[in-house]
Amino acid sequence: MADLITTSALTKRFHGLTAVQAVDFHVREGETTGVIGPNGSGKTTLFHLLSGFFPPTAGEIRFCGEPITALPPHRRVALGIARTFQLVSVFSSLTVWENAVLAVLRIQPEGAAPARFFLRSCRHPAVLERCAEALERVGLTAQASLPVAELSYGDKRMLEIGITLALRPRLLLLDEPLAGLSDHEIARVVKLIGEIRRQFTVVIIEHKISKILELVERLSVMNEGRLICEGSPAEVLSDPRVRECYWGKEAPAC
Amino acid sequence: MIQTVVYGLTIGAILYFFSVGLALTFGTMHIINFAHGMVYTLGVYLFITFLQALGESFLLALVASLLAMLPVAWVIERFVIRRLYGESLDYAIIATYGVLLIGTDAIKMIWGTTPHPVNDPIGIALPLAGMDLPLYRVGIVLSAFALYGALRAFFKRSLVGKVVVAALEDAEGVRCLGIDVNRHFSIIFVLGSALAVLGGVLYAPISTADPYMGFHILLLAFAVVIVGGMGNLNGTFLAALALGMVMAVTGRFWSQAANAMVFVVMALVILLRPREAH
Repeated sequence: MADLITTSALTKRFHGLTAVQAVDFHVREGETTGVIGPNGSGKTTLFHLLSGFFPPTAGEIRFCGEPITALPPHRRVALGIARTFQLVSVFSSLTVWENAVLAVLRIQPEGAAPARFFLRSCRHPAVLERCAEALERVGLTAQASLPVAELSYGDKRMLEIGITLALRPRLLLLDEPLAGLSDHEIARVVKLIGEIRRQFTVVIIEHKISKILELVERLSVMNEGRLICEGSPAEVLSDPRVRECYWGKEAPAC
Repeated sequence: MIQTVVYGLTIGAILYFFSVGLALTFGTMHIINFAHGMVYTLGVYLFITFLQALGESFLLALVASLLAMLPVAWVIERFVIRRLYGESLDYAIIATYGVLLIGTDAIKMIWGTTPHPVNDPIGIALPLAGMDLPLYRVGIVLSAFALYGALRAFFKRSLVGKVVVAALEDAEGVRCLGIDVNRHFSIIFVLGSALAVLGGVLYAPISTADPYMGFHILLLAFAVVIVGGMGNLNGTFLAALALGMVMAVTGRFWSQAANAMVFVVMALVILLRPREAH
């Protein structure tokens, strides 16, 4: 499998703090990769760099072999890089359907007028189909007309993943998708990730390592801004450097 | 008393026209925009110039000044405001205050410092409870309500409006959907600037135009934005009308304290407003 995204010597410094240091990270197309590491190890900063929310201090990012280091976030989404956030990011003041509409907004359905000013212009069959498909996939069709503020946290997480999938990304970055969820909600999200990993290249940051072990083909471990270890889950979890970084600071929450 | 109420609502309406742009700029871009005062003042001076050039046609001069100010607003957004996205508030304050000072001095150089009066374009008074109520003021109040309705429809029914509502909540989240948020911010900035010009032009016949008129309303409008809830569009409308009434009622009994009372109310709101748990 070819590399979908690669970083070389990727570094991010915030004044005196080096959050990500000379990271060479790569994700192969079609693969599901887990990124683990103690709190503050630089995992989310790495996602911010990959998705364009932070400019790197040094280093380069390539997507499908092309440099994307200087591209803003919306241009990276257009290329096929989509992400979710640690704290669920949906728009509470809009309805579930309107959230889905925003996700397909930049997509120009065939036959639709180029300038779509009014919301009712989103009643184009292609847009409706795409929104309906996104909501159905995450089991929120019945709640389409509800304001997002009325959804449970678990449903908001499902919606966030749903609208991210509506972007039809080539690379999906999930930042702690299980954080703050109940056991029942975790089971729903794990099942969903299990389904989507067959269609998309997925990278998951997660502290609940045991929940993602069956989902990922490869694990990457970060500690103090560095990528310290990569490989299959079995190799990585038996690596003494990984044990040391967790036991030296905190036990992994399995 | 009716005159006081109408005066309060008129001031509130003008504050609303001006504050919408400030509230949107702060709510979406997190930028405190002092340049808004310059846009307001320059718009009024251009209006006066067009009024003289277009045979005293209020409506034509209003449209001409609005059209003339659109590119000015765009230039400010493109070359000043856009560079401040994501920067700390103090950079934004310094940069936009600089624009306000430069603009004000340019206005003084071009038009001088003498206040310019503008005639009431309607010039009709309604007899009400033994008093004459200028129809123009009633028109201003009604136009503020119409603007509120129009903006509500814009944010509810238009895609740009939906993107802005989402960005008021989480601009990063909108970027994650592949939407060029900055382009939408530009639209909103220009819209807010046009509304400030509209407010300034509507206010000119009630007061007079002077180079520092933007400074005065700017401070009052910051009070409106703070009392209304920093980017809360319904709150901005209610706060503008309420503070307009505070000014009018205070001014009736103690004219020297009319402006100060606005800031007393603002301080009380800051003190008493329930704080969000962090």
